[in-house]
Amino acid sequence: MLAYVGRRLAQVVPMLLLLSFVVFALLHLAPYDVVDAVTTPQMSAETVALIRERYGLDQPFLVQYGLWLSNVLQGDLGYSLVSRHAIADDLAARIPATVLLVAPAYIAALLLAMVLGLVAAARRGTWTDRAIDALCGIGIATPSFWFALLVIYVFGYHLRWFPIIGMHSVGKQGDPVDFLLHFVMPFLVLTVAFFPDIARYVRSAAISQLDQDYVLVQRAFGATRGEVFARHVSRNVLLPIITQLGLALPLLVTGAIVTESIFGWPGVGPYFLTATRSLDYPVILAVLLLSATLVIIGNLIADILYVLADPRIRIGAAR
Amino acid sequence: MTRRSTAAAALLLTGAFALAACAPAGGDDPESGGSEATGEFSYIIAGDPTSLNPINVSDRWGLTVTNLVYSPLARVEADGSVRNELAESIEPAADGLSVTVTLKEGLTWSDGEPLTADDVVFTYTQKAIRENGNADLLWIGDAPITAAAADERTVVFTLPSVSAAALSNIATETYIIPEHVYGDVTDFSGAELDPVAVGSGPYVLTEYERGQYLTFEANPEFYGEAPNIEDVTLRIVANADTVNTALQTGEADASFATPEQIDQLEASGLDIYPYAEGRVAYLGLNLATPELTDQRVRQAIFSALDREEINTATWLSDEYYDSAYTFLPPGNPFATDDVETYDTDVDAAKALLAEAGAEDLTLTIAYAAADPAQTTQATLIQQQLQDAGITVELAGVEPAAVYTEIEKGAESAYHAFLGGYIMGQDPDAYSLLFRSGASANYFHYASPTADALFDEGAAQLDPDARAEVYARLQAQIAEDAVIYPLADNLKILAVNSRIGGVEDATPVPIYTLENFGLLTER
Repeated sequence: MLAYVGRRLAQVVPMLLLLSFVVFALLHLAPYDVVDAVTTPQMSAETVALIRERYGLDQPFLVQYGLWLSNVLQGDLGYSLVSRHAIADDLAARIPATVLLVAPAYIAALLLAMVLGLVAAARRGTWTDRAIDALCGIGIATPSFWFALLVIYVFGYHLRWFPIIGMHSVGKQGDPVDFLLHFVMPFLVLTVAFFPDIARYVRSAAISQLDQDYVLVQRAFGATRGEVFARHVSRNVLLPIITQLGLALPLLVTGAIVTESIFGWPGVGPYFLTATRSLDYPVILAVLLLSATLVIIGNLIADILYVLADPRIRIGAAR
Repeated sequence: MTRRSTAAAALLLTGAFALAACAPAGGDDPESGGSEATGEFSYIIAGDPTSLNPINVSDRWGLTVTNLVYSPLARVEADGSVRNELAESIEPAADGLSVTVTLKEGLTWSDGEPLTADDVVFTYTQKAIRENGNADLLWIGDAPITAAAADERTVVFTLPSVSAAALSNIATETYIIPEHVYGDVTDFSGAELDPVAVGSGPYVLTEYERGQYLTFEANPEFYGEAPNIEDVTLRIVANADTVNTALQTGEADASFATPEQIDQLEASGLDIYPYAEGRVAYLGLNLATPELTDQRVRQAIFSALDREEINTATWLSDEYYDSAYTFLPPGNPFATDDVETYDTDVDAAKALLAEAGAEDLTLTIAYAAADPAQTTQATLIQQQLQDAGITVELAGVEPAAVYTEIEKGAESAYHAFLGGYIMGQDPDAYSLLFRSGASANYFHYASPTADALFDEGAAQLDPDARAEVYARLQAQIAEDAVIYPLADNLKILAVNSRIGGVEDATPVPIYTLENFGLLTER
């Protein structure tokens, strides 16, 4: 088991190297001059040259990549080109805000999806199933920015129940009621964005379980449908759900880019969008690397949880 | 949906909305409509300030913050007049080689220390260091302007050579920082000073939550009139729709708006203040491309265009733009009307094209696809030039990419592009755009006549003679058909009606308001 985990972690390194190189190369292929992000037309050619030199932008592509890489290997994500602020500090301030929003929304979406998915599976082919399916279809097809604007219009503008901007009112950090008021609308938007996919997943997983022989056997022994669902089907459905949980790990960083930007939520989203707009490549690379690392780690965690949840599965065993 | 899940959903919603009922009944309750005095003015800005260091700050929001917290010696107003701030008097020497500035009496920093001539000398010396990143205005040719303290309240600036532009640049745009706080700092090229912000402006910075807001409170040591509103908050919101709604609910007091939003904002009771920023939106030609080296072709293109049609389509009403005819914005004291304005004349355009042997002209025009204004302009330009027999291909790209491509000159894929610039009051600043080989000369314009006029204008100290030089220069550049100026599109400030005194606070380019302290609560 440990050897397996070690081997999987070792695979992460070349993948991240390749990923960072590709992102770096693509950013350099873009038809922009990165120095434009930090200069203004009022600056003379000498000043622009000075700035270019200070930020190392006058170096050849491979030298720039090498410098960046050696810093990252020493644990230094570097500085934003635009604000000259340490990226690690910025991310340390922003990731908790994103987690605080995404994690509850994902858990709520998961619970909602479990309920809806199992109900749909249990009533397969009835109008209930079709209604849930339609609901999920609409949910998947609705862009979250549009839904966010709709929510803002109804609850923020028309009814004026909730404030629109940010995570808390100015000067009210740590006030839980104030936080919750700001939290409700983006939470609702994200939950709606997350649940339809999972619900459909749960439904199909549950249906494939219902076709299993053990269900027939249980029914033959006189178990009610509710008992079959509660004791057997729902447990077996959990297994694929665990995979989903692992795969959802990167959402904790990049799961709410659009929603955060619309609500002015001070998470990773607006930070990443601003950086992309100004080609602030150290920031773009840092966020992408973090997100890619989480994808890989999430997969690994999913595989390990699989083993823990189902004793029939063995990994890393001798062939 | 089953009965059970309906109940669950209902419970979830009830729970969420019960929270709304818990809303504190305080001043910031959005339902109150913000009609009572809160002692706070909240202004929405679109992003974090790039720099909070007055030595090198050059971005809009960084300058807005700087102007709240620090003070310059003086400012140049929209009409070209000088308004003293820290300075009591500014006396240029007759030979144009020095300027003597006397400070007001009894100036103090926000920490209570006296503000003296030494602080001024310290600030200008640091700013003139090229490595610190914003020294251009304090250099003439290849030598810096130097400053020396004659006594506690008197600073003498010495110019390396005569420069009319420098005379107006010296006292303005440089925000004084305290030597007793930052005297030991060796590198001023960073984006933040440590500790942050001891200043002499109307407000002091109290808190900065990156990505969220900056809060300020009135500076009790401010030399001018004490600010009417005790607290100012700059909230950072990037999404324009969110800003629009927050203004209407009263969650924020003010922000910039676009012409399309105005009807809605006015209907919600906001006051609208359009004002000129001295911007010139233009169609620029790339003179290096083989198709456009012939002046007659360029003049033909301009003659085929209809400025008013483009401007009205872009900015909806002439309340929101001033048409521009030269490279200077129409509100600039040096701007003139006495130039070739290229009134629409399609026949003349066709004749010019025939004369130049360029009947089958095809042009590629680049514009910022994400900018609705430029998209409208590009489409109309394409249509208008079509009438004169010129085929236009439009290339919608990112603005930064346009300039990188245009700088390739003759090899560039673009013959023309849509752009805009804000270069400030002094006409010499525009030499960066139009002098041969200048850093922002995207047009690849190289005219010995224009260069000579720029030299003459920079060295001419007599105001009338100087105005005459720049009038000739504007005529020359118009004649050479380098840029087709469209308009100075006005900046539109939308302000909650509970806030007054906007005119006294004076909307200005870049900084939004000259003095936020003069706003009042009604």
